[in-house]
Amino acid sequence: MTPEDLERAAGDSAVGGVSAYFDHAATSWPKPTGVVDAVVRALTVGGGSPGRAAHRLGLEASREIYAARTACAAFLGARRSKDIIFTRGCTESCNLMLKGLLRAGDRVVVSSMEHNSVARPLAVLARLGVEVVRVAAHENGTMDPASIEAALSAPTRAVVCQHVSNVTGTIQPIAEITRIAHNAGAVVLVDGAQAAGHLDVDLSQLGVDAYAVSGHKGMLGPQGIGLLYLNPELEVDGLLEGGTGGGSETVEMPSSRPDRYEPGTPNTPGILGLGAAVAFLGGEGAAQRDQEQLLTQHLHEGILDIGGYRVSGPAPGSPRGPVVSVVPDSGTPPELAAWLDREHGIACRAGLHCAPWAHETMGTRDTGTCRFGLGYGLTETHVDMLLDALRVYRS
Amino acid sequence: MTRRQKRPFVVFGFETTHDALAAEAVLKAADLRVVPIPAPPVLGALCGIAMRIPPESAGRARDLLAAADLDPVTRAEIEDF
Repeated sequence: MTPEDLERAAGDSAVGGVSAYFDHAATSWPKPTGVVDAVVRALTVGGGSPGRAAHRLGLEASREIYAARTACAAFLGARRSKDIIFTRGCTESCNLMLKGLLRAGDRVVVSSMEHNSVARPLAVLARLGVEVVRVAAHENGTMDPASIEAALSAPTRAVVCQHVSNVTGTIQPIAEITRIAHNAGAVVLVDGAQAAGHLDVDLSQLGVDAYAVSGHKGMLGPQGIGLLYLNPELEVDGLLEGGTGGGSETVEMPSSRPDRYEPGTPNTPGILGLGAAVAFLGGEGAAQRDQEQLLTQHLHEGILDIGGYRVSGPAPGSPRGPVVSVVPDSGTPPELAAWLDREHGIACRAGLHCAPWAHETMGTRDTGTCRFGLGYGLTETHVDMLLDALRVYRS
Repeated sequence: MTRRQKRPFVVFGFETTHDALAAEAVLKAADLRVVPIPAPPVLGALCGIAMRIPPESAGRARDLLAAADLDPVTRAEIEDF
């Protein structure tokens, strides 16, 4: 897809004239052509049931899923592709790693910046007897590894921390937190929803025990697909039981990955779309990530130049994911978001972004923020369009 | 239509489709004539996908799979078309 195609796609929304799409932190749009083609192919040419029959349609679907899983593992730096578990999305991945591991009597240390995909499962687990210790982040959203270390004074089963904040774009020091947690005998579970596809995630370097990924945000795949990386040494219980296409003579689930965690017919169109997205990200899409960083910095600095907006998160120039969240001095974030959509066709999101803990940390619990999530397809023209609109709103 | 004669083969069974397809990729990369088939009952499982190879390639296939950390969970000799 050429830059001209992207400009046209971003300006010709089928739902009515979106000029600039700044809601990539919720879901990426548009998708690369290869992703669309892969989904269509799965629904037309190659629609067999994977992992079951050995006829050519079934085998082809199985082989395509195998190839997609292998590509995802390579892209994320996982040594074994069978440690990549496909799920319905990052929320299911987080539920699997948390509910599959933690039991009554366990103690878990968690950052105060977590999304509800972590906070809500932990609330359920707390009612079942898991001790949940929330550690406050700095007001710019950064978790201080020393704070985590201090919280590990008692025996702890797991440390849970996001990689990138969906509210502020703050990048957490995961490798350092992992080192500290492992020294204390705790495993590390990471919500990578806002990192994968945006940052260069190398699981072999991070050393984490579980890493949850959204398929449809920075990874550029379709909605309804995600994955969970599980360290080969980490044993967790599955969330579901059912048919896996093999070992049908027993009522017990297979012990081997990935079947152990993937009962039922898989989301073949979603998985193949994600595989195509990974191929794109590893090729021509690599330049997109560099562009995202530049555009994010341009937007952040531009908003500060305009004035009249409080920007959450790291200072300009500091590493951050492609998210800029603001609170306007006049009006409210929902009013600003609605005005941008109505008057300028600019799509963004206002509110708490399913992360009330993070807003408590940032001091924006009562107002929420207006969030601009950058990603594939956006250009400097789009960012300047947004800055012009923010200038008008303030005047 | 001429009815084909059955010939001897070796089949390998795996615990997951993922492992079976990984094995297929390894054996194909070595130019072995591997064919995925519905797992025959003789493997002890009544569904799933098994990998069928000519008997003369069985030894080399076993070595290749072991080198790739893909040891089959079952092995059998069958006659097939």
